[in-house]
Amino acid sequence: MKPKVAFFDFASCEGCQLALLNCEDDLLAILAQVELVEFREAISEQAGRYDIAFIEGSIHREQDIERLYDIRSRSKVLVALGACACNGNVQARSNFVAPAENYKAVYGEEDRNRVQVDGEYWPLWTHTRVRAVHEVVKVDYQLRGCPMQPTEFLHLLKSLLTGREPSFPANAVCVECKKNENECVYDRGLACFGPIAFGGCDAICINSGHLCDGCRGLLPYANVKAHRQLLKEMGIDITSVQNRYRLHLSNEPDAGEVRR
Amino acid sequence: MGSYLATEEQVSTWLHLLAKERDLFWPRSVGQFNYSFLPLGERDEICFDRYLPTIVPPGRRLLPDDETLFTSQQGDDRLSHYLPPQPSAPMVLAGVRPCDLKGITQLDTVMAAAPADPYYHQRRVNTVIIAMNCLAPCDSRCFCSAVGALGAQDGADVFLTLLAEGVLVESLSARGDEILVKASFSLCEDGKERRLVAEGTRPLPFGRELAVVPEALPEMLRKGYESPVYHRYGERCYSCGTCNLVCPTCYCFEVRDEMSLDGFSGRRSRTWDSCMIPAFAEVAGPHNFRAEVGERQRHRLKRKFEYLPERFGLGSFCVGCGRCGRQCTANIDILNMVNDIAVEVGGGS
Repeated sequence: MKPKVAFFDFASCEGCQLALLNCEDDLLAILAQVELVEFREAISEQAGRYDIAFIEGSIHREQDIERLYDIRSRSKVLVALGACACNGNVQARSNFVAPAENYKAVYGEEDRNRVQVDGEYWPLWTHTRVRAVHEVVKVDYQLRGCPMQPTEFLHLLKSLLTGREPSFPANAVCVECKKNENECVYDRGLACFGPIAFGGCDAICINSGHLCDGCRGLLPYANVKAHRQLLKEMGIDITSVQNRYRLHLSNEPDAGEVRR
Repeated sequence: MGSYLATEEQVSTWLHLLAKERDLFWPRSVGQFNYSFLPLGERDEICFDRYLPTIVPPGRRLLPDDETLFTSQQGDDRLSHYLPPQPSAPMVLAGVRPCDLKGITQLDTVMAAAPADPYYHQRRVNTVIIAMNCLAPCDSRCFCSAVGALGAQDGADVFLTLLAEGVLVESLSARGDEILVKASFSLCEDGKERRLVAEGTRPLPFGRELAVVPEALPEMLRKGYESPVYHRYGERCYSCGTCNLVCPTCYCFEVRDEMSLDGFSGRRSRTWDSCMIPAFAEVAGPHNFRAEVGERQRHRLKRKFEYLPERFGLGSFCVGCGRCGRQCTANIDILNMVNDIAVEVGGGS
């Protein structure tokens, strides 16, 4: 019997599922090996058990947490798919703003005031702390990146199908820049998160002339202290440094606080 | 094995002729400040004397990243069959500086030591090297002279020196003679003498200096095993691996297997690895033999100046190209680190 595979999305742009659909050459081969039982809520979530559940998006509301508990309880292997699921991504930035300020920015002052006194009034957007999937349930594997890397998706799927342990090396983006012989972003006079961020993306942004903002999260051994010092020495003010850190890395325990 | 004198234009024409028959790599400017050995295209201009050491050294072309070691394919008998990798095409590495040349000859020895590496060897025998002499340090990071790499000629098939009167072209091997057949340069009877005169104009000291002679380094590093210098530098290290990946004498790799989705075919490949990345020394357990960044810096230094020199007897395995310091975003410079240890353990010279 083919393994049952399901995809669920929470707060996200669904770009990771789109990235998967872009694996056009491999899609038929994938479908020959697995049975797709959930994709974009097309089928009821009460389809029994899943062999592999892919979770896209960050977890915001109470009902999301309940839904995630339910999925976890019915899944053998649970995979966080993409930066939102792995580290909260840009959404987690709102964790640094008081909820009342967020409501005001989104719904206006009148609704902001009402939501605080009217227990019946609960706009869609109101939420608790933005969390990565692993902050709510046990995650077996993470497919990092904004969006996720299709080659890593295929590697994970093949590993799970053949009973092998997948390999996601914990190396900096710098490794892939050297392999591609990119001119270092710092040589261009710009600040880059490559030295402290998870690679595995083939340095795709830098290959295209951009820089790294660390969407794949901080390495477990990221030298954040040295990195902040380096940006400071480049003459970048502390607010700009903080803004860069909070683009993708708000939920990283090491990156959130301002260090002077 | 003659010597010839030619204009830059003549040499350029000759290199373009060679590039029509096989891939010829010459340093080309990439981005604002960097260079890279890239295939010479028909319309590419050759810059003879204005290039810095490339991002990765030319020797990496002999040990490419993501190299296929073998593939397997399902046959009619429903069994998986081994398929050897495609043999690599002949190539020319041209514009190779003495530091990188020394790095390649050291790799030749390492890769020939048992168990010999057939993949490297297959590429190497298909590779012709045209080296380019250095008459001035390339920039403020250079210290090739201090580690004895400046005079390297071994391993080159053709050796170029830029003289005031033109380019001196010396053939150093039968293969050099072979590729020079296509050239129409004028013979130069006193080539070696002219080169020595030009080399006599080199500034002294040539680039930065070591605080001790290279021969004293193994003993000095043993004495300084517990040196706090490693940990001081380690504090600002990212463990990103750049210093290894740009080093002409680093060759460590990781082997990976990747199967097709149906599980019937597959590919084994090897990718560049780095001893500065924490996972490099991680084993089952999980235990890490060099969990601390300072320990990893020490290992890197001892590989270059103690372990490999003592094992192979080819002198310092640091060739003084300065790449690791030049490309380190934390400005960790291997020569500064060695000199700091020398000061701390009282030299040794």
